Amino acid sequence: MRAAIEAFDTGASVGVVSKLHPTRSHSGAAEGGINAALGNSAEDSPEQHAFDTVKGSDYLGDQDAIEILAQEAPGDIYQLEHWGCVFSRDDQGRLAQRPFGAAGSPRTVYSADITGHVLIHVLYEQVMKRMEQGGMTVHEEYFAWRLAVEDGRCVGVVCWDLLEGGLELVVGKSVVLATGGMGRIYRATTNAYACNGDGMAIALHAGLPLKDMEFMQFHPTTLYPSGVLITEGCRGEGGYLINRDGERFMARYAPKALELASRDVVSRSETTEIEAGRGVNGSVLLDLRHLGAERVLTRLPGSRELAMTFAGVDPIYDPIPVRPGAHYHMGGVETDNWGATELPGLYAAGEVACVSVHGANRLGGNSLMETITFGRRAGQAAAEAALADVGQHEVSGEELAKAERGLETLLARNEGERPWKIRDELGASMLENYGVFRYPERMERQLEVIAGLRERYERVVVEDKGSVFNTDLTQAIELGYMLDLAWCMVQAGLAREESRGAHSRPSDFPERDDERFLKHSITRWTDEGPELSYEEVRMTKWQPEVRTY
Amino acid sequence: MKVALKIWRYDAVAGERALREYEVDAPEEATLLDCLDLVKDRVDGTLAYRKSCRMMICGSCGMRMDGAAVLACKTRMYEIAESGHVPVISAMGNLPIVKDLVVDMEPFWRKIRAVTPWLEPGYSDPGERENVVSREEMAAIHKESLCIMCGCCVSECNSMEADPDFLGPAALAKGMRFVGDARDQARVERLQAYSEPHGIWDCTRCYFCQERCPKGVDPRDAIAKLGAEAMKEGIDSDLGAKHAKWFVTSAKTTGWLRETELVPKTQGVVRSLKEIGFAMNLLRHGKVPPPIPPHVAKHVGEARALYDLVKHEGREGAQGIVQVEKPLSRLEHGESGYEEAAARGPYGPGSFARPFLPDENETEEEAGT
Repeated sequence: MRAAIEAFDTGASVGVVSKLHPTRSHSGAAEGGINAALGNSAEDSPEQHAFDTVKGSDYLGDQDAIEILAQEAPGDIYQLEHWGCVFSRDDQGRLAQRPFGAAGSPRTVYSADITGHVLIHVLYEQVMKRMEQGGMTVHEEYFAWRLAVEDGRCVGVVCWDLLEGGLELVVGKSVVLATGGMGRIYRATTNAYACNGDGMAIALHAGLPLKDMEFMQFHPTTLYPSGVLITEGCRGEGGYLINRDGERFMARYAPKALELASRDVVSRSETTEIEAGRGVNGSVLLDLRHLGAERVLTRLPGSRELAMTFAGVDPIYDPIPVRPGAHYHMGGVETDNWGATELPGLYAAGEVACVSVHGANRLGGNSLMETITFGRRAGQAAAEAALADVGQHEVSGEELAKAERGLETLLARNEGERPWKIRDELGASMLENYGVFRYPERMERQLEVIAGLRERYERVVVEDKGSVFNTDLTQAIELGYMLDLAWCMVQAGLAREESRGAHSRPSDFPERDDERFLKHSITRWTDEGPELSYEEVRMTKWQPEVRTY
Repeated sequence: MKVALKIWRYDAVAGERALREYEVDAPEEATLLDCLDLVKDRVDGTLAYRKSCRMMICGSCGMRMDGAAVLACKTRMYEIAESGHVPVISAMGNLPIVKDLVVDMEPFWRKIRAVTPWLEPGYSDPGERENVVSREEMAAIHKESLCIMCGCCVSECNSMEADPDFLGPAALAKGMRFVGDARDQARVERLQAYSEPHGIWDCTRCYFCQERCPKGVDPRDAIAKLGAEAMKEGIDSDLGAKHAKWFVTSAKTTGWLRETELVPKTQGVVRSLKEIGFAMNLLRHGKVPPPIPPHVAKHVGEARALYDLVKHEGREGAQGIVQVEKPLSRLEHGESGYEEAAARGPYGPGSFARPFLPDENETEEEAGT
């Protein structure tokens, strides 16, 4: 939506295609906050923000992109505030900022623990305003299925209309992908049912390169058993992580930063504790009791509600059972600093894209900021390119015809397996074999598992043959996306023979290897499956150092 | 556990409606949404419902259980299944059904769009820094900002059932989110627009929206606050506003509600004349006191003092509305059954050990004893 707003304000006519109503997007579930060096709470600077991000990325982030993010973040936050965003305030009535993991200063602007919610609603308010002005249309519950590429440029998206049924080619001189992540590849994830990597998969199949696919971030505090996110803000507000004995075990892994070490570090520490038998029911405990009722109620009301509803625990009186869960995918469609991909007319921003500002590990509070800053940049660049392109393009609709044939084949199949079992097996095996810690033999095994599942998927059956709100169909398509992306992930992980950020190989390559792997992996799709190559990291002023917290 | 559900299926193409029963084997922590997923995966792939975040924030999965709107992802099934009850699941009310549990949300969003749902800051250049707004000022719209637009309130709205054009609880709560925002410069225009027919005063105060809101937004409170703010601005041409205004005057002057004056003050003299027969009947049966002489309450002074206090404290508008306090940031909000934990306290007997750092083992033991 941020891209759409900027494209509209740049002068383009804009259509938003979304498989959910826009306010249902999973950005709304982000809780803790959004990072910008405003310096309201303590001294801070964009330079410091950039350095923390570079270090957090385990030096895999592209430093020019990170500097842009850090520099432009404050202006973007002020813009959101002037649009009416309901941020929390400090005593002076300025935007309040809280500490977050691996940040050198309290930098995270927030709204209690529903920051994503207030952001998504303020953006939709601005979208509605522009709909009223004319020139912006929202195609709600349109499922983007394929990119239409003609004469070497992206000319539109083939969509399935969920409400009415039927395929449609939505054309545009520029297309911006902003479809989010793919946490649903894992059984234990904070992500919504909608997060299936749609944009990455359709770009991959349109011939585009995906970057850094091996890096999936595991969030250290996802609620047991449901997997929903308990915000890092809980630790930012002073929460403890304890094991079954009550010990604040982070002191043994990150003696300085303790609970506020980087997410990859905390997730590994928790996994080590749980595997050593010091957990409780396969979890560790997030303890907020010492914060007292008042602080929990005013700063973390949403987390309390989640813990009470889904785990039966009131955090004012009892610690919350948490464990690492798949949360955010650092990789995605490769873009430049304006969101442009290598395919003319195609842009990407947010979790679907990889600029890369997060490198091998994202810092909490940076993803919302990335969606806003790079969403704005992609929207502007896409609109400028579209406006500069004054010619009329004939669109043949060949891709639409291809999609129609594909759909017919899929719906005509009556003998075979329904998707859910394949989906469940993919989720469970990815968690087992490609989770927080990665071992070569398990990764090899996972490649075989994926190959087997892909074979079964060839014969998948869609039971609902109807045209109206057929989620049986869309879920089957989404499963196909996830199977392809899982293959890309594991293959890239197996090839990265080092431990960096969220990619940890304790048994064979426990150290970072800058000599061989201070570079991005690039995955392209071929007839034989994903093909890997590598690309240099863009560095400006920070050389890799040993990373401790 | 075995969970049985009866689901109202609807096929829009054939126009057929049918109540079907399903049974699934679900884990104890399963929610209604989890159970629907099990039905769709293992029993009937054609079942249609919306879902996404499964954590009560995206607002997709509003539906009815036994006739009352719920978020499927927030509804735990354990107690229902244990009791042997088979709940009836159906689509939300007041919105056209598309298929099974999916409704057409366009009429809902049309009403949201009708309240000018964006900030009108009164300037176009935002300047260098943020607006300075105090915590207290922001707190005024805390509840309204929690709205996830799920439609549960609209589903249950009695007034909308009678008048489909009624703006409804969600849109009006959205309106209050801007009226109460210190940064908004279109407050009066908004209050005028919301006071038109089908607006603020068409709410019948049945409180169903308040009851069914899964997020503690309390839309009826928002509507009450809008009404109070409108009257504070002198926007009182609607019958509802006049009615409310006369209540105050009546209470202030005599300490009683004077029904015989209420009708002409609200509806005007001409329309009241038509009601004379009805009024005489009421009078004859002792349902209303005779208008003359005015009946003055013994402690009318207290009513007047209360009126002066509200005025003195500047609580004539939204500030004066006593609100139901169900929002997230209240201790009382949430499932019941936590009294036990509250009674023992966070570190009482049976609680989890007090946390300690590895190198302060000894001090911890002291603290623990």
